[in-house]
Amino acid sequence: MTDIIDDPLQRRYRAVGTALAVSVYVFLLSPLVITIPMAFGTANTLTFPPTEFSLDLFRTFFNSPGWVNPLLNSIKIALATTSLSLFAGTLAAYWLVRREFLGRALITGVIMSPLIVPSVISGLGLYLYFSYFRINSSTLSIVLGHIMVVLPFVVVMIMAGMNKLDRNLEFGAELMGAGTIRMFVTVVLPQLVPSLVSAALFAFLSSFDEFILSWFLSGPDTITLPVRMYNALNWEVSPVIAAVSTLMMALSLVVCVAAISLRKATPADG
Amino acid sequence: MNMTSSIRATAIFMSPAALIAIFIVMPPLLYVVYTSVNGLAFSLDLYADVVASKLFRQTLITTFVISGISCFVSLVLGFVVALHLASQPARRRAILLGLVLLPLWTSILVKCFAFMVLLGREGVINSILSWAFDAHIQLPMILNRIGTLIGMINWQVPLVVLPILASLLAIDEAVYRAASIMGAKPARIFWTVTVRLSLPGVLAGLLSIFVMSLGSFMVPALLGGPKDLMLSNLVDYYSRQVLDWPRASTISVILFAISVSFAAPLALWRRSRRI
Amino acid sequence: MMPLPREERTQQVARDDSRPNGLGEDVVSAARSNRRDGSAGLVAKNRSENDPKYAIELKDISKYFGSLAALHPTKLAVNRGEFLTLLGPSGSGKSTLLNLIAGGSGPSTGSIFLDGRDITRMPPRERGIGMVFQNYALMPHMTVFENVAYPLRARHFDRSAIRAKVTEALDRVGLRGLEDRKPRQLSGGQQQRVGIARCIVYAPAIIMMDEPLGALDKNLREQMQGEIKRLHKDLGTTFIYVTHDQEEALNMSDRICLMSLGAIAQLGTPDDLYFRPRSRFVAEFIGESNIITGRVEGNGRMLVSGNETFLVPHEKRSTGSELTVMVRPERVRICGSAESVTTGENVLDGEVVGTAFVGGTTRVAIQCANGLHMTAKMMSDRLATRPAAGDQVRVCWSSIDTVTLDS
Ligand SMILES: Nc1ncnc2c1ncn2[C@@H]1O[C@H](COP(=O)(O)OP(=O)(O)OP(=O)(O)O)[C@@H](O)[C@H]1O
Ligand SMILES: [Mg+2]
Repeated sequence: MTDIIDDPLQRRYRAVGTALAVSVYVFLLSPLVITIPMAFGTANTLTFPPTEFSLDLFRTFFNSPGWVNPLLNSIKIALATTSLSLFAGTLAAYWLVRREFLGRALITGVIMSPLIVPSVISGLGLYLYFSYFRINSSTLSIVLGHIMVVLPFVVVMIMAGMNKLDRNLEFGAELMGAGTIRMFVTVVLPQLVPSLVSAALFAFLSSFDEFILSWFLSGPDTITLPVRMYNALNWEVSPVIAAVSTLMMALSLVVCVAAISLRKATPADG
Repeated sequence: MNMTSSIRATAIFMSPAALIAIFIVMPPLLYVVYTSVNGLAFSLDLYADVVASKLFRQTLITTFVISGISCFVSLVLGFVVALHLASQPARRRAILLGLVLLPLWTSILVKCFAFMVLLGREGVINSILSWAFDAHIQLPMILNRIGTLIGMINWQVPLVVLPILASLLAIDEAVYRAASIMGAKPARIFWTVTVRLSLPGVLAGLLSIFVMSLGSFMVPALLGGPKDLMLSNLVDYYSRQVLDWPRASTISVILFAISVSFAAPLALWRRSRRI
Repeated sequence: MMPLPREERTQQVARDDSRPNGLGEDVVSAARSNRRDGSAGLVAKNRSENDPKYAIELKDISKYFGSLAALHPTKLAVNRGEFLTLLGPSGSGKSTLLNLIAGGSGPSTGSIFLDGRDITRMPPRERGIGMVFQNYALMPHMTVFENVAYPLRARHFDRSAIRAKVTEALDRVGLRGLEDRKPRQLSGGQQQRVGIARCIVYAPAIIMMDEPLGALDKNLREQMQGEIKRLHKDLGTTFIYVTHDQEEALNMSDRICLMSLGAIAQLGTPDDLYFRPRSRFVAEFIGESNIITGRVEGNGRMLVSGNETFLVPHEKRSTGSELTVMVRPERVRICGSAESVTTGENVLDGEVVGTAFVGGTTRVAIQCANGLHMTAKMMSDRLATRPAAGDQVRVCWSSIDTVTLDS
């Protein structure tokens, strides 16, 4: 283009800035990029770059109960966590955004607190607490723990979605005689669908990837995929982990892409 | 619209979350505190004991050193990225932001595994170096401080980019134009406008990654050596290996207090800015 | 770094230059003697290109965004010390033109001369131009003093000089005593005064203002108009002012450059634009107008619908060609049926279809017998004596008040 004002000083700063930024992008992405080719290597050695490509590692993964059971556990737990925290989180987020009520600040603080409380503390506390009820090592205990850390994310995301809605629509529905609950179901929820879907995706991903709480709460039968992976990393770095990592990354990628395209689909989003 | 809504409606909308808050979120913390003071006997002996212990002190220092260094480096790297993102046209920014968000939403375990492969004694980087210098190079880059820092920085950078980017994008573009018309050179504009006006985002990002890094567990456990254990690892050690729950609880409470003392100013400051 | 030789030359030229205009000769020379180095270009002139006639000269500059022409190739020369207003509807390219002069982006074609010096590709900071923005564009984190001192610090003035100049500039805009406030603690009008102070403080060769009063309410706007005009008189600097408010433009300008669709529709004094609009667009944009279309009859007459003929100024166009003329409503009289009509006046019978009483003047809409719709504007009378809808009236206007428009 001819219509650029050529400013050597500015150009130099930009060049330096871009070079630095690119190297940071490389640093951020290199761990992700490196695992993928390894996942398609052969079963016996962990080399980079692999000399041969195959699906051996994925086959090994899906054929060993030691990996498949944790995978199924994680999926089960993530589904339960997602549905329960979405239910509680959506109702609460709506009320927190739209209404003023006694104890609002207190309950917000408690719900959001897992964002700053280090997970180890929650993990230890939940472990001690659930021991009292003798529900340790159960799937239930892990789901409850996950709800605790996933709920704040869900509430924040739905609140952000709520803030973009025009409250006059709700007001209008109430003027026309709809009760609060009917109004919520017929007016608010339909408009919230994009936020609900992305909140659900991120809730699923957070629960699926959650490690520390599961580390404290899981028993031999309820081991989750990240716990299994942590154990594997601690004892022997086996090539199957590359396949596991690739699967987990694929999940992250799907969630990110879905969330971004959902955001594009919402005209209200600036 | 009546803002103080009926108790019944509030109960319907808030009760699931309230039940979770009351029966799941609060008890563990209370339980930890309860255990740490030896239940109703209420004694602070364990605290005195823990604070006097050499292992604890060493770990506390390690925790602050690792968190401090990694947060500072992450801040600088994050600022570079945020600056670059802010200067891009909207479309390209969205794509590049995806490159930052993907690592953010990838499990730390995955990244730790990748760094083991990359930085190990026979890892990718050492292999490349060996090949390049035609020698058998085995730089120790994991199971030590360097590995820990690299791992920590890698997950902190994306977190710090977002608030900085938000405050950079909030700067009125006309202010830049005004500054350059008034004769300021790029370096002056950078310091007096860009850096100065992004400080809120910088501070928010820095505090939040610092609070999070105080509680890190996986990176020091997987990429660090015995000297790089942080407080979370110590809690884990006492609870799972020594099975000394009270001591683990005591350390937890101390860690919690430290985290809150850094998170509270952030929360208060955010609230004061919103009003 | 910048190529140093140019800067040295710049400084030297600036020093021995005797500029007729500027923020008072004493202030300008004081500004120069206070400069420690020549790192930031103040006003730079290049004697080698003969004595430049214009403060700013635009030679066929254009700006395209993709296929959209924000500004078609345009020529414009701004005289020294002139107050030139860019006027036009939204999207007509006013800001684009200003931005090209300021150096926010480069033109797609053409070149820009500042005091005879080609600045087309020069970065904004070296141009030595001042600019006032619609939304103030003040540094939100700096006090009023720091904001006004900013351009001086960029030029490495020493502390005492900065204090003196900032104080003087704040004095001029009536903001003394508010030095330590932050912009958000000021009203809109005060913020814009800061914007003006920080612009005049470094005595730029040209001061540009992009709708500086756009965000202010009507009363304040009128007050500030007066102040800006006075400032222009005191400083003698060349002003380029952007507005889409025609009254503001008529009131303040030496010349108005009326823009439309990325091109200059007409450039001239306020009188020119009001009394001798060249095109229908100009006539309709500035003031109110009655547009009459018809054909040339020759002999100073035109033929309009209803086989009526009107007297118009003498017309060189050939008989039968299309003709559009314009009469301002205040030149249209409503006369009683008895009143005699002087020669050279056009007369039409009609019926009042509506009146609008807007204070000092009353606007009367008349449907004429030949189908023409005319508006007349008159000094207001009381309701009883004002024309009312349904009244049968005669309207008349003189041929010398009729303006012929292009096409
Ligand atoms: N950066 C840009 N990219 C694409 N088109 C642009 C850009 N800037 C301006 N335009 C277009 O150029 C045309 C002229 O815009 P300009 O801002 O100069 O108008 P203006 O006369 O200042 O209007 P206003 O009175 O609304 O400020 C408009 O159609 C606008 O949409
Ligand atoms: Mg404009």
